[in-house]
Amino acid sequence: MSPIILQAIASGLVTGCVYALVSLSLVIVYKSVDLLNFGGGELVMVGGYLALLVVVRFGFGYLMIFPVVIAVGFAIGALFDRIPLNWIRRGHAPGTVIVPMIVATLGLSYLLKGAVRVIPYTEEPRRLEPLWRGEPLFIGDVVLQWQDVGIVAVTAVIMLGLWLFFRFTLLGKALRAISQNPRAAALVGIPVTTLRMAVWGLSSAIAGIAGVLLAPKLLMTPDMGSIVMMGFASAIIGGFTSLPGCVIGGMIIGVVQNLVGILISPQAIAVTPFFIIMIVLVVRPQGLLGEVIAAKKV
Amino acid sequence: MGYESEATTVALSGVIAEADHARTARYADDAGRVLAAAPKSQRQAGHHLRELVKALLLAANPLFAAGNTTKNFNLRQYRLGRWLVAIVALFGSAMPAMAEPGVTDSEIVIGMFAPLSGPLVTYGLDPVQTAQMLYEQVNQKGGIHGRKIRVVVEDDKCQATALVAAVKKLATVDNVFILHGGSCTAAVTAAQEFITREKIPLVMLVAAGDPGVFPPTRYMFGSFGGTQRLYAAALTEFAARQLKSKRLAIIVHDDEYGNASLATAKAVAARYGIEVVAVERVPLNINDLTAPMLNIRAAKPDAILSGAYPAPAVLVAQKYAEYGMTATPLLEMTQGIPTASVFAKNVGNEAALRNFYYSWAQNDVGDEALRQKWTSMYKSRYPDREPGGFMIIGVPSTVAIIAALERAGPNLTRERFVDAMETLEVKHEVMAGPIKFAPGRRDAIRDVNVVKFDGKTQTVMPGIYSWNGMDGN
Repeated sequence: MSPIILQAIASGLVTGCVYALVSLSLVIVYKSVDLLNFGGGELVMVGGYLALLVVVRFGFGYLMIFPVVIAVGFAIGALFDRIPLNWIRRGHAPGTVIVPMIVATLGLSYLLKGAVRVIPYTEEPRRLEPLWRGEPLFIGDVVLQWQDVGIVAVTAVIMLGLWLFFRFTLLGKALRAISQNPRAAALVGIPVTTLRMAVWGLSSAIAGIAGVLLAPKLLMTPDMGSIVMMGFASAIIGGFTSLPGCVIGGMIIGVVQNLVGILISPQAIAVTPFFIIMIVLVVRPQGLLGEVIAAKKV
Repeated sequence: MGYESEATTVALSGVIAEADHARTARYADDAGRVLAAAPKSQRQAGHHLRELVKALLLAANPLFAAGNTTKNFNLRQYRLGRWLVAIVALFGSAMPAMAEPGVTDSEIVIGMFAPLSGPLVTYGLDPVQTAQMLYEQVNQKGGIHGRKIRVVVEDDKCQATALVAAVKKLATVDNVFILHGGSCTAAVTAAQEFITREKIPLVMLVAAGDPGVFPPTRYMFGSFGGTQRLYAAALTEFAARQLKSKRLAIIVHDDEYGNASLATAKAVAARYGIEVVAVERVPLNINDLTAPMLNIRAAKPDAILSGAYPAPAVLVAQKYAEYGMTATPLLEMTQGIPTASVFAKNVGNEAALRNFYYSWAQNDVGDEALRQKWTSMYKSRYPDREPGGFMIIGVPSTVAIIAALERAGPNLTRERFVDAMETLEVKHEVMAGPIKFAPGRRDAIRDVNVVKFDGKTQTVMPGIYSWNGMDGN
């Protein structure tokens, strides 16, 4: 295979990992509370700027960046569920609550973007120091930066951690129960409200980590939250109900975008994910690994 | 048009409409019924206004009275109207200052607009404040022909819709004399139709503004930092003459900016016998340049010309280093480097800047004393702000406006201002070449420096590089 194609695939897999993390944060929320989080992109952006703040303002390194971003991201997500979303749930009948909640996620998006614009670091595009520095890694003709290796490693750790969490921990099982049947889960004593808050917190924390990994590869601007569209695309392709599916969806988008850019035109890169979505929706509407669409028991 | 003239038009329309109605009814009776229906104060005011307008119409046409001539002719109104017309004619010629928007005996109002918020604020805030600083210096010296300059500022966010709204507000609500602003080409050129229709001069602040100055139109002046054509021509010429390049790769955006850059670079390359071996056109919001840079690497160029905006420009430099292309000179057009030190920090890789050059129309890079002078001047006025690299680009357009206002003379009108701008040729210590306009030319600058930047040191390359006004057009 031509070196340029191999390089495109390798770089695409790395980019796909970032898309996968964004997608994971969206799918976790969707699986648990049946809600699309349109503020997910801005949570990614906030994670990146938080990391920049930790480095520039306080002079700390990545050992502090990850705990701070995870903690603050969790807090933002949990508070968002506890205050506006809870208020909306109380004020609306169960069948009419989805649209206001989606609008609330849009509001979160605007709120975060506006809040970030106030801080001084947003005047010019900024970049975070790479997670790992060093001479490039050569695998045959393919060259990878250590930052890219770091992105893949962190994504793999998060995936593994989520799999273990949902499969083997009591909390993870409780969250799965809520996603399958919230009423039954409440009847058996699962604290649905508290765990919903935890879901939002977890989702926001993962989005924040995606922002930290993205920041050294891209430049940070308050508009970098538009990457959420790649997250949605990954989730649609892989399946909105499947965590491994959305990771695979992200990888597919990352690789195909690069191949289209090389073989067709860089101007076609932006529309590539949407073409893939169209094909997947025609061939397999539930996504590659998603569950068949069926009425949910309540 | 201003709301005052709209109100007058409404009043005239009302009289004419009512006069038309009087073709089938006696005008006086109808007017009386209308007036009787209104409150007393409004009846009085309405009565006076109608009498005044009718008098003016009668003076203009003594036989004016819809549907009736001699029967309704009012000699008293006619004589009153004649006096009114005579008085207006006598004083009209002595009141040009009051008639011209934004100009009084004591002040000239200039409407400024630029991105004062958002990710492109670095292109707007510092240049606007530099302009305001220079206007204040003029005011401290007594103004221009006895008139002080007052500035009204709006935030255009570098977006076409916000910019056009700001321009309309400045023109119709603030009644400014001229417009001075625009840092983003696509946004500022969106206002061209309005300013041409309303005949309001617009002097761009920072924008290259290629579509706004090519083809030239009467009321729009721009490109005080240079056009895309100039950057592309200058860097291609530099690649040919200094780097002895024979194989050029070009990466630009798929917008007007990119179109202009590409056409000019190709024309200049052809003139110097350079083969363009790769052209990559990328979307504005691209965040992964893997494919375009791999394509460029595969083409084996001996120079790479980039017309990317700041964020993609950093990605270009990063990928250029990642893929081991640093032996090939990378030439970046001006708009990609708002602040050189921040650019270097964002790239974060010294190897990426070993062979890096960019175009710059100002002299501050090669002249530390000059840079310090202007930075100190700026910081003495704005002590809380560290100016970015685009601060200095606020100077040339302001200098041009001040010079044109001087030349236009005390009887200041917009047309006289435009005539003065059209014949302007100004040399200033800040600029690599003269600011020059002509009846068929609206781009201010056609000469730039080329700067080598290794991440720490900026070195101005020998020579001035120019655009001949024809390549790419």
